[in-house]
Amino acid sequence: MTHSINKLSRTLCGVALAACLGVLAAAPTHAQEDLWPILREQAFGDRSIAEGDGVVVLETPQKVEDAALVPLTVRVPPHVKDKLKSLSIFIDNNPDPKVAKLNFGPAAGAGGERSFATRVRVDNFSHARAVLELDDGSLHMATKFLAAAGGCAAMQAKDPEADMTGLGKTIVRTFEPALSSNPIWSGQVMIKHPNNNGMQLDINTAKFIPARYVKEVTVKRDGELVFTLDSTFSISTNPNFRFTFAKGETNALEVTAVDTDGASFDGTTTRQGGS
Amino acid sequence: MINLPHKPSASPHVHRNCGCGVHGLSRRNVVLAALAIASAPLLRYLPAHAATSDVSEVAPGVFVHQGRYEVQSAANSGDIANASFVVGSDGVAVIDTSGSAKLGAELRDAIRAVTNKPIKYVINTHMHPDHVFGNGAFKQDNPEFVGHYKLARALGTRKDGYLAANAQMIGEDAFAGSEIVLPTLAIKEPATLDLGDRELLLEPQPTAHTDNDLIVTDLKTGTLFLGDLLFSVHVPTIDGSIKGWLTVLDGIGQRKAARVVPGHGPKTMELPAALEPEQRYLSAIADDVRQQIAAGKTLEQATASAGFSEKDAWKLFDQYHVRNVTAAYAELEWE
Repeated sequence: MTHSINKLSRTLCGVALAACLGVLAAAPTHAQEDLWPILREQAFGDRSIAEGDGVVVLETPQKVEDAALVPLTVRVPPHVKDKLKSLSIFIDNNPDPKVAKLNFGPAAGAGGERSFATRVRVDNFSHARAVLELDDGSLHMATKFLAAAGGCAAMQAKDPEADMTGLGKTIVRTFEPALSSNPIWSGQVMIKHPNNNGMQLDINTAKFIPARYVKEVTVKRDGELVFTLDSTFSISTNPNFRFTFAKGETNALEVTAVDTDGASFDGTTTRQGGS
Repeated sequence: MINLPHKPSASPHVHRNCGCGVHGLSRRNVVLAALAIASAPLLRYLPAHAATSDVSEVAPGVFVHQGRYEVQSAANSGDIANASFVVGSDGVAVIDTSGSAKLGAELRDAIRAVTNKPIKYVINTHMHPDHVFGNGAFKQDNPEFVGHYKLARALGTRKDGYLAANAQMIGEDAFAGSEIVLPTLAIKEPATLDLGDRELLLEPQPTAHTDNDLIVTDLKTGTLFLGDLLFSVHVPTIDGSIKGWLTVLDGIGQRKAARVVPGHGPKTMELPAALEPEQRYLSAIADDVRQQIAAGKTLEQATASAGFSEKDAWKLFDQYHVRNVTAAYAELEWE
């Protein structure tokens, strides 16, 4: 285990360095070491993972248009009745491949399709993976290949000042299902945050712009936990999450988030979106 | 208007466009394109253009080279953006330098075919590779490299990505020697440059096409160089702020100018008509995206439909439109 972690951190350093030198952008996929066995062992040890068994579905765009903002949706189809325990999302070849891990609570819901969607940065051609853990401890994986060669360019802010303006502003919305009998509602959390990855040199100061990103998000409905989410800078600027939850009494969502500087942000349902 | 004859002897790289390229090579199709080149090295394209040495005098002392309506590729060697220069009695200012050191050198040859006056300023209208990678060809002239005060930061953080991506798209050979040259003169407030008997007005803009757009005006002839604040024929690309861009365009529309030079489009156009298609395009996206956000639609849903009424009005729509909608959505959802 120690050996794998060392190997992983060495490899990650290599990936980060190569990305910064722009090497990866010039040499897609093939030359890349397959990191998944290492990531897998670190996250799940020797537990078996069912692949492509339909328990979890991963949706990514056929063509990546903006490698800094790639929509990614995980669905658990309605035929899966089990409660959900956790969901881990990986992008193997990103500087930090562990995009997000969700631990679900009692208000995560069941009895309909469940989903989680966010937007990610893709540094280079890579597999994206969603590993779902059901309440019985079984693991299920869906995999998609992302043909995105953003290189370091994928990580650039369009307007760094605008990204820092109103940092921490948190918008929370809920969406009522089309059928009122549906026990599953959906919600959205948007957090204004640059999610800086620490890999950009500021030419004016000759220093790296410090990493600062949202690392933890907790969502509750009527005081009950929907999920806690650990996230990394593989999540795009202005982290955005859409998710399902169990219909409750008031369906008010309460969100708290913490970033790597220790700043915390919170929001509650301010508006209800469309259907 | 005079068209300077292209002199093949002026370019040591006449085989640059030898035709082994692939049409419409996009950033994302480089692997497929590489395979296509390897498996079918057919002569599919014959160069008809004379690269950046082909310039026209659009007003006394104002010269413009028109780039192609294409994505950078081996076939066009990065010649996709307009590049200009203005000649005063004391010296020359270059406004954008095209997409590679070789194209920059050809542009320099074109300047030298017109005048031997010193090249005093090399101005970049913004950070994009197709406007800045020719800068290196002018280092021998020791000019001031001039840009918006946010240009240095923007280029600094994107340098490695831009170099790698453009070497890949254009090809190592045609891209050889290209480098990022950072500005030596940063423009934060409107300023003028004196070329001798003519002044250029430089006006840094708030975030619009990018966060480092600079408008250059040749006061003598009333020529506005808008850089990529103005696209014509080539679909606009949003790399800054759609709201900011529409606001800046409103301001430009109030101006009087003898002519404007777009970053992509014909050599010259007239205000305000030149702006209208771009304003219509950006407004169509903004309106559709706002409507979809209000209706609770997701980013993926928006990218499947917003602004598609504009599809037939632009070249390269398929290459850039969804990306534009993505950028617009991510901005407008915070309103």
